[in-house]
Amino acid sequence: MAKILVVDDSSTVRDEVAGFLKKNGLDVDTAVDGKDGLAKLKASPGTKLVISDVNMPNMDGLTMVEKIRGELANTTVNVIMLTTESSPAMKERGKAAGVKGWIVKPFKGEAVLETFRKLAG
Amino acid sequence: MNDTKPVSKVLVLDDDLLHADTIKRFCDENNLVGVKVRKSRLLSVLRANIDLGAILLHESYGGSLDEAAAIANRIYAVRPELPIIMRRERRATMDDLPESLRQILCAVYVASDITPLRDVIDKYIFSLDYPNALVRGISEISESMLTTLFKELTIASERPSIVRDRIIFGEVFSLIALESAWCRGYMMIQAEEEPLLALLDQRRSGSSSAASADFRDLNDLLGELTNMIWGAFKNRFLGEVDPTRAQVQVPLLVNHRQKYISFGSDNPQLCFVYELTDEQSGRSVKLHQRFVFSLSWSPEAFSEIAEQPGATVGAGELDLF
Repeated sequence: MAKILVVDDSSTVRDEVAGFLKKNGLDVDTAVDGKDGLAKLKASPGTKLVISDVNMPNMDGLTMVEKIRGELANTTVNVIMLTTESSPAMKERGKAAGVKGWIVKPFKGEAVLETFRKLAG
Repeated sequence: MNDTKPVSKVLVLDDDLLHADTIKRFCDENNLVGVKVRKSRLLSVLRANIDLGAILLHESYGGSLDEAAAIANRIYAVRPELPIIMRRERRATMDDLPESLRQILCAVYVASDITPLRDVIDKYIFSLDYPNALVRGISEISESMLTTLFKELTIASERPSIVRDRIIFGEVFSLIALESAWCRGYMMIQAEEEPLLALLDQRRSGSSSAASADFRDLNDLLGELTNMIWGAFKNRFLGEVDPTRAQVQVPLLVNHRQKYISFGSDNPQLCFVYELTDEQSGRSVKLHQRFVFSLSWSPEAFSEIAEQPGATVGAGELDLF
């Protein structure tokens, strides 16, 4: 069971982020959009950390987080948004949904690795 | 030439050496780049995309007025969106020209009075005022994202230009909407498939992945580049959109056979061209980026979005709540 789930509609980003984390010894799964992310989290309730984009087709990242907390009643998984969005309104929505942190792309693995390790337990 | 403003390329079909200096001076003073092409290659050049703004045609180009008229008609048949301005020898009038030619010319002028030429340039090419901060910002953002995605490549960019072309460069392009209170339209990034696939394959040759890159990989990469540029552009220039305002939409039309895309607007487009080069192999790829503000444009309301007071977290850093 993977401890980290990376959710992004771009395979370029999924490969980059998951590849970096795996290279650093972390256990990672990926999903292609919010709907897929929700399904994978439901199937793996032991996941500790979700790293997710916001702008995705089928289901966006913030809606996915709201459903993680609501429908899945999972209030413990840590969620970090990795997105091009930086508007205060979006961040507030994220906070209200229980998002733990926010990264505006591009992804800089070395800057966040230790925090990700801690959040993934 | 004003180095801070975008230029526009004009195709100069005028072999008169006596007038060459006048045209060159006019181009320099009006941020135009004169492009000359051999008559035998004219139509093949026009069918490709060289990001043109207008055509300057001499009434005797090709040897006679009849020949010049025939050339003008052929140009109009393949590129009706390009304004054609004719230089005449005696009088700046269209009265004595054939009807078919009068219908396709935007204006005529004589060497001693280039006012009509200037008027056409202002009306057809530089009709939209693009704030310097916007043009500069687009280049900065785009080059930064290109450098992030293509760390191993050298990035070079051409001077931004204003184009009236509607021809699609290459075989693949991304399209994303731009929405704000002061502008609405689209950003496109266009590329040729083969050079980009070759570049992707080269990247993979250094990794354990044995499969060659295919068009889906290319689509994904182009999509992510578009997403990153769009996001940074939105954060810096667009601000929040009023969700209560009804937003007008206009169909976009793509003709694959003609490699032509229309946004329903006659406005010129802001064009940036980037060249990505692998210094080791010498392989390079060109990306054409176009901003089409076809739905609304109010540059007087343009402003850059200031950073939030107290904001200390930069791109790539984790902002823990």
